Amino acid sequence: MSPIALEIIIGVLKIFSIILPVLISVALLVYLERKVLGAIQLRRGPNVVGPFGILQSFADVIKLITKENLLPSSSNKFLFIFAPMLTLILSLISWAVIPVSSSYVISNINIGILYLFAVSSFGVYGVIIAGWASNSKYPFLGALRSAAQMISYEVSIGFVIITVLICVGSLNLIDIVESQKDLWFAIPLLPMFIVFIISALAETNRLPFDLPEDEATLVAGFFTEYSSISFGLFFLAEYANMILMSSLTVILFLGGWYPPLDIFPLNVVPGIIWFALKVFLILFVFLWVRATFPRYRYDQLMRLGWKIFLPLTLIWVVITSSFLFYFGLLPN
Amino acid sequence: MFLLGTFYLFASFLVMTCISVIFSKNPVNSVLFLVLAFLNSTFLFILIGAEFVGIILAIVYIGAVAILFLFVVMMLDIQITSLMVNMKRYVPLALLFAGVILAEIIYLTVFKTTKSNIDVIVRSENNTEQIGNVLYTDYFIDFQLSGIVLLLAMIGAIVLTHVYRPTIKRQNIDKQNTTFSKDRVKLINTKAGEGIQSHD
Repeated sequence: MSPIALEIIIGVLKIFSIILPVLISVALLVYLERKVLGAIQLRRGPNVVGPFGILQSFADVIKLITKENLLPSSSNKFLFIFAPMLTLILSLISWAVIPVSSSYVISNINIGILYLFAVSSFGVYGVIIAGWASNSKYPFLGALRSAAQMISYEVSIGFVIITVLICVGSLNLIDIVESQKDLWFAIPLLPMFIVFIISALAETNRLPFDLPEDEATLVAGFFTEYSSISFGLFFLAEYANMILMSSLTVILFLGGWYPPLDIFPLNVVPGIIWFALKVFLILFVFLWVRATFPRYRYDQLMRLGWKIFLPLTLIWVVITSSFLFYFGLLPN
Repeated sequence: MFLLGTFYLFASFLVMTCISVIFSKNPVNSVLFLVLAFLNSTFLFILIGAEFVGIILAIVYIGAVAILFLFVVMMLDIQITSLMVNMKRYVPLALLFAGVILAEIIYLTVFKTTKSNIDVIVRSENNTEQIGNVLYTDYFIDFQLSGIVLLLAMIGAIVLTHVYRPTIKRQNIDKQNTTFSKDRVKLINTKAGEGIQSHD
C-alpha cells in the first residue's frame, strides 16, 4: 500500500475516533438533560427504554429518521435541505483542533483558537439560511433574532479569548492548556470565565437566551418548518455545539487535561478522563441554568451583550495586559 | 504539483463564485455566493502559508460583514425585474471602478517588483507573531488611522439613520431592576361588604 493511501486511512480513522464519541455523547447529553431537568423538577425523567431509560435518545433518533420529511411548497428547496447539513458540519469540523489530551488531537495547528472562533462564527449561517429558506414568518423572525444575538455575543467572546491569549502568548490550543499547568486561568481571570460561560449559553442558543427558538412567541423559531431527520440534524448540532463550547471553556479556563492538584492519586488518572470530567461539569452547569432561570426578554439580551459584557471585557483586556506588562510577566 | 493543483481549483472556484455574485437573480443567493468567494480567498491565503490573514479574513468578512449583508438583504422586498433594469444604469460606474482596480493590479505586479517585507512575513514559520511584531511598531500610525476611519464610518452610519423620538416609551432597566414587589403590590384585607377605598 502506498504511504499516501495509508496516511489517508489513518486520517479517516482518527476523524472517526473523535466524531463517534462526540455523537454518542450527544445522545447521552440529551438523556442527561432530561434526567437532570426531571430531578430538578421532582419528576422521574425518561425511565422506560433500556436500563434507567438510557436508550431513550437512541429510540428518539430512530423515530426521527423513520418519519416523513416534509418540504414546504413555497420554500427554497436547496437551501432548506442544505441549512441543517451546514449546521451539523460546522459543529463537527471544529473538533478537528480540540486537544482531548496532551498528545491526542487530529490537527495541531498554530492558530487553533482562531480556527475555532471562525467556525463558531459561521454557525449562524445555518440558522439564518434555515429561517429564510422556510419562507415563513416565525422561522424568519427566529433567524433575525439569532443573527443579531450571535454577532453580539461573539464580540465579548472575542475579547475573553484575547485576554487568555495575552496570558499565554500563543494561539495554539495545546500551548494554551500547557501554560495552565500550575494555575488554571479560571482563578486569576474569574470574571472572564463567568462572562465566557454566559456568552457560550447565548452562542449555543441555550436557555435563558434561546430567543431564536422561543416557543412561547415563535412556535419553534428557525426550525418551525423542519421535520424528521432535518430537524434531527439541527437538534444534533445544537447539542454537539454545547459539548464543543464546554470543551473550549475547559481548554481556555479549566486547565484541559491537567488534574486540579499535581499530587499522587490525582496525577495517575489519564488526562482524557480529567478532560471529560471537566466538560461534564460545564455541561451540568448548562442544564442547571436551563432549569433555574427564566428566558430573557430580547432587549435585556442585547443590553447584557453590548452594554455590560462589551465594556467589562474591554476593560479586562486593558487591566490584564497592564498588570502583566508592569510586573514583567508577559510571555516571550 | 499538488499545491499548484489546489491553487487552480480554489482560484477557479473563486472566479466562478464572483461571477455568480453578479449574475444571481436573487440578492440572497448573491450574498451566499459572496460568502463562498470569501471562503475560497481564505483557502488561497492558507495555501501561500498566510494562515493568520486567511482566518482573520474568514472571521471578519464571513463571520460578521456578510452576515450583516444577509441580514439586510433578507429583509428587503425587492422586485427582481426592476433590479435588472437599474443594473444597466450603473454599468459605466462599475467599469470605471474595475478599470482603476485593474490598473492598480497591473502596476503592482508588473512595475513594482520589490517585495522585501512581504516575503519575510509570508515565508516565516509563525506569521501571527511576525504580523504582531510589525503591526504595533512599524505600522502603528497606519493601524490606528484605519481604526479611526472605521470608527468615523460607524458614527456616520448611526448619525445618518438615528432619529430621536422623544415621545417613544422606553424600558428603564435600572429602574426595573431596583423595583421590588412591595413598591408595586399591596395586600389589603377587605372586610366583607365594605369594598376597597382608593387612596389616590
